[in-house]
Amino acid sequence: MMLLKIAWRNIWRSKTRSAVVIFAIASGLVGGLFSSAWMNGMAKQRVINTFSIETAHIQLHHPNFADNFDVKRTISLTDKKLNEISKIGGVKAVTSRLKVSAMAATANKNMGVTIVGINPKTEKEVFGLYKKVDSTSGDFFTSKKKNSIVVSKALAKELKVKIKSKIILTFQDYNGEITGAAFKVIGIFKTDNSPWDKMHVFVRDADLRKVVEIPKGQSHEIDILLDDYEQASFISADLKSKYPELLSEDWSEIQPYLSFITEYMDMMMGIFMIIILGALGFGIVNTMLMVILERTKELGMLMGIGMNRKRIFLMIMFETILLALVGAFLGEFISLLLINYYGNVGINISSLAEGMESVGYSAISYPMLEPYRYLQITILVILTGIFASIYPAFKALKLNPAEAIRTL
Amino acid sequence: MSVIKVSNLTKTYTDTEVPVHAVNGIDLTFEKGEFAAIVGPSGSGKTTILNMIGGLEKSTSGTVEVHGQDISELSSGKLIDFRLNNIGFVFQAYNLIPVLTAKENVEFIMQLQNWEKTKMNERTFAILESVGLGNRVNSKPNQLSGGQQQRVAVARALASKPQFILADEPTANLDSKSTNQLLDIMEKLNKEENITFIFSTHDQRVVDKAHRVIKVDDGKVVSDEVKN
Ligand SMILES: Nc1ncnc2c1ncn2[C@@H]1O[C@H](COP(=O)(O)OP(=O)(O)O)[C@@H](O)[C@H]1O
Ligand SMILES: [Mg+2]
Repeated sequence: MMLLKIAWRNIWRSKTRSAVVIFAIASGLVGGLFSSAWMNGMAKQRVINTFSIETAHIQLHHPNFADNFDVKRTISLTDKKLNEISKIGGVKAVTSRLKVSAMAATANKNMGVTIVGINPKTEKEVFGLYKKVDSTSGDFFTSKKKNSIVVSKALAKELKVKIKSKIILTFQDYNGEITGAAFKVIGIFKTDNSPWDKMHVFVRDADLRKVVEIPKGQSHEIDILLDDYEQASFISADLKSKYPELLSEDWSEIQPYLSFITEYMDMMMGIFMIIILGALGFGIVNTMLMVILERTKELGMLMGIGMNRKRIFLMIMFETILLALVGAFLGEFISLLLINYYGNVGINISSLAEGMESVGYSAISYPMLEPYRYLQITILVILTGIFASIYPAFKALKLNPAEAIRTL
Repeated sequence: MSVIKVSNLTKTYTDTEVPVHAVNGIDLTFEKGEFAAIVGPSGSGKTTILNMIGGLEKSTSGTVEVHGQDISELSSGKLIDFRLNNIGFVFQAYNLIPVLTAKENVEFIMQLQNWEKTKMNERTFAILESVGLGNRVNSKPNQLSGGQQQRVAVARALASKPQFILADEPTANLDSKSTNQLLDIMEKLNKEENITFIFSTHDQRVVDKAHRVIKVDDGKVVSDEVKN
């Protein structure tokens, strides 16, 4: 206890020097933590967006459907299955979709797309795409009009269509015949992922079913939203045994990169922090060497009157750790304020946003850092302090008390 | 048994260009309760002698026995503990830990000895009282005069209940009033608590207070007188 007290007070003996070190540590941590939070926020948002727009948490398909989107590879008895699945614990919502490859054509251009046939009511319970249609861009199947289509802003631009424009969709029907139908644009959406946007158009399940001639009760995909996405692999495993004839995939199987994003971010943050702390560590070593040099006489006196090596070592180690911790707490406090502030208002990088969106990230991001990260960084700082104190402490132990005191 | 028995002690510094024979064969014994001064001009070997008696420096030859224990046989780690538990030190300056108060400085050494808290507290106050600093217990060293700082150092040396206290020119940086005060306090403690003091000086006023005067020159004892 006495050693801690001495160590703590020693920090404040050379206020300017300590302040410089503390400030350096604090700014290093603010830089590291804030950018980690920023990357983390972007990654989390990306993951959540992907769930909400593209994958939900679990999908069921005919095992070979993904090979070439063959319209005949369907899930049968869809309604019964939807009903059963909705009763499974942990399932929040469930919907079914049709998915048909097609050419979308206007007078201007042809584009290859996937037509997604949806059931608006349950679709909105599972997916959040409807929120991406803003009020100036029509709606997402609120009216009952037949052969309506919702397309993305990016596709609308390519095809040069707007609300009420017609788009001709051409595809192979259930019997293998090439056929087509005209759809009227009723809504235009925009997500953060423009390549995805260009490839998907949305129509009513009923309309699509009729023109493709898919028998009643059959569909291509069942999409399941869970209360907790971490449960996806367990529930997916249940579904596999329940419906052996179907392929059940959780989000990490549908989009393997989603789990990499999080792991990759963790790794990046770790490496980043270690580099920052490593650099700070050298600064701390240097400072402590100066401290030892300045206190030669005092350390000699302490050894002279009978303070043993272990205690000398501890005293120096405590001082180093405390110095680093003061910087760490200051840095963490500032980071917390910054992250909370920008976590609420968001950071807008719309000037760069086009680039960001072409790789699937939002223009506005909300930095966020899980509380355990602060604990983690504190532990890393303590470790840095311990490492940084070893060399100076050994230097101190090498002092010869008689000589140190003689220089009086 | 003598508290300290020094036999044929020599010290030669060899890391210099020419070897320096700082101490040249000294024999001395100190009994419990002595109040002895080692006197000599600067460079005569006073500090070296005290350092060897205190186990801060190894002798080149000869022995230092404390209560029959040859301290040159102790490992450096053991020697630190030995100093802690057997010897009180008062140096010329830089005796105190600047960030601790007078009270904490005195307690510090008892904490190193793992004293029980209430006993330690009592003893600290009593000792600071006896060196005339009862009203300055919470002052930091830089708030105390040089003489007061040396008194705290004496208090700390005493607090650890040592066999003897070594003080190397404890008054060298003090004015004559503080010098007298410090010596009076040391003499009082010597008388009242029968604590052995060995101090070095080249100050005649200090020599006059000593009960035994050991004169050294060129690393040799030139006279050793006990006064009455
Ligand atoms: N570390 C050392 N290396 C070489 N010579 C030393 C060292 N310490 C002291 N001396 C020499 O030893 C002699 C005695 O010194 P010292 O014991 O300090 O004398 P005093 O304390 O009486 O002034 C002096 O000549 C001094 O220069
Ligand atoms: Mg000297």
